[in-house]
Amino acid sequence: MEGFLHELWVARWAIGQGTLLTIQVSAFSILLGSALGMLGGVGLAYGPWPLRWLIRILVDCIRGTPVLVLILASFYLLSFAGINFTAIESGLFSLTIFCAAHMAEVIRGALQSIPGAQIDAGRAIGLTFLKILTYVLLPQVARQILPVWVNTGAELVKASTLLSVIGAGELLFRTQEIIGRNFMTLEFYGFCGVIYFLINFAIERLGKVAARRFALQ
Amino acid sequence: MYSFNFGVIEANADKFLYGLALGLGLALAAIVVGTLIGLACAFATRARARLPRMLVSGYVSAIRNTPLLVIVLFAYFALPQIGIKLGKYETFIVSLAIYSGAYLTEVFRAGLLGVPKGVVDAGRAIGLTGLQVALHVISPIMLRNSLPALGSTFISLFKDTSLAAVIAIPELTYQARKLNTETFRVAEAWATASVLYLSTCLIIAAGLRQLERRFPKF
Amino acid sequence: MSLLSIHGLTKRFGANEILKGVDLDVDQGEVVSVIGSSGSGKTTLLRCVNLLEDFDGGEIILDGVSIGYATENGRRRRVGERELARQRSMTGMVFQSFNLFPHLTAIGNVMLGLVKVRRMNRADATVHAMSWLNRVGLSDRAHHLPGQLSGGQQQRVAIARAFAMNPKLVLLDEITSALDPELVGEVLGTIKSLAVEGTTMLIVTHEMRFARDVSQRVVFMDGGRIAEQGPPAEIFNAPRVARLREFLGKANM
Repeated sequence: MEGFLHELWVARWAIGQGTLLTIQVSAFSILLGSALGMLGGVGLAYGPWPLRWLIRILVDCIRGTPVLVLILASFYLLSFAGINFTAIESGLFSLTIFCAAHMAEVIRGALQSIPGAQIDAGRAIGLTFLKILTYVLLPQVARQILPVWVNTGAELVKASTLLSVIGAGELLFRTQEIIGRNFMTLEFYGFCGVIYFLINFAIERLGKVAARRFALQ
Repeated sequence: MYSFNFGVIEANADKFLYGLALGLGLALAAIVVGTLIGLACAFATRARARLPRMLVSGYVSAIRNTPLLVIVLFAYFALPQIGIKLGKYETFIVSLAIYSGAYLTEVFRAGLLGVPKGVVDAGRAIGLTGLQVALHVISPIMLRNSLPALGSTFISLFKDTSLAAVIAIPELTYQARKLNTETFRVAEAWATASVLYLSTCLIIAAGLRQLERRFPKF
Repeated sequence: MSLLSIHGLTKRFGANEILKGVDLDVDQGEVVSVIGSSGSGKTTLLRCVNLLEDFDGGEIILDGVSIGYATENGRRRRVGERELARQRSMTGMVFQSFNLFPHLTAIGNVMLGLVKVRRMNRADATVHAMSWLNRVGLSDRAHHLPGQLSGGQQQRVAIARAFAMNPKLVLLDEITSALDPELVGEVLGTIKSLAVEGTTMLIVTHEMRFARDVSQRVVFMDGGRIAEQGPPAEIFNAPRVARLREFLGKANM
């Protein structure tokens, strides 16, 4: 135990940096991914058919492919295509498109569950479609998808561990480096598992608080 | 300009197909064990005693909030240190089963909530014992309720088998990566892997829709 | 001797006392209807007799045996699961909302108890179940799932399911309340034809005309107690208690 605590102290910066990068990567991909997902969801629900089909194909291809394959493929393919992304950048890219595809599907479902009469009602009082979307539809969608969105955030934190495979220095990769130095496999894998648990547990709690806030209004 | 050459893929078709079959096999083994775990835990949440309920919610919360890759690496590298030695296939199947068990617990718990109370009363009224009611009345209804979610869990488990590549199990992702580094046919390798994953997922999903139609919702 | 004797039955849900000491005897072959406004405790009484609810005081004697509880060293305790199931199988119950097993066909619903409780072999159970479906006029629907049957048909399957077990006593709990008006007739007709054959029945109902036609005795419950009972002619034509007169005035005959 004393040995572990000593090693933990030695590795504190590496673990801190890894944790920070994990959180940054997850936050970036959930924010950008959700924004793209919203565009995709609106396109899927109301777009003209060529656009709808294009988005449908993209979304299905991304959702039908494992995240690890997305990560490896973009890591190798992008550099091959002359785009010089670092491991972190290609990780961000693949987690973002994964999140976007997932959210597009969720937002499409939520939009289509809203009665069409509301769009008619909005038109009747002279709102443009963009205004109906902004003031009538999306606020309802936001409330409806909140639990799924929070859950997606936790999924992204978990998926970010896959970046260790391409050598991005997030928490799991840092942990593997530390273990390579001190061979305390059990202790450090266990410790990083606990950190992931705490991050996701906090997200889950925050989600529940937010859901309660929302419901009260 | 990159020129495509799918000849490499053709030459390695058997490896890709083997990898695909291996992934499906891993997912199948994991979901069978995971279903048993999930069923046991879901029924345990209905127990009157507090202890089993607390244990189950602890298990579900711990697993759902921990990345699968950390679980797999922990099982593969750390458990042998305390004397638990399994082969890499067994390790992966056990990890994936424990992982899916947590999700399936939630699936079956929701399925149980969908069993009408009156139907349980009717079972007891004709003199079935508690065990018989659970077996002949509650379980079939609950399983039918859970079928769609069970199916989508299987699809995501199949995708999760790509993580087996990390501990050198030669499934589809491993094969694609190997081809990538050996031949530098980057685009072909990953396009093939993606297409195989995607089409398998679509086929499973279509099969599930058939199954759901075969057993109509009550 | 009575087939069913209820003495001083009490039941509470938390602070709410639903049954405040009910005494009721039902003879072999007798058909007794229980009427009363909602909340009077009729349904709870029935559920206690079938041991679907536990009760706090009093006793229920079925065919000479006290059911649901045993007294050991002066302490009252619920009988074990197996014994409870065995005692329940002596009574049959038909529910307001049918409660058919949705995953089993009509004949499957009737057979489950025969095979699993009565331990009949499948061949005998099939023949027996079919004969009961025939008696409720549904032999042509034997292999339909409940979801494919109308409400009236579902309730007739539920009746066959209860009667096929050959119970000593059948409990009917507002069996037409969930039905569309045009389907009520077929279900009540089925019960009338079975009543003629001497099955003992305890019926909770809102259908006053049915209670009058089918039963030898009518029991009026009010506020967790039996307020009045007697032959249908007396109850409906010469009610003595004010609450009963009020109730009958509101109920459309």
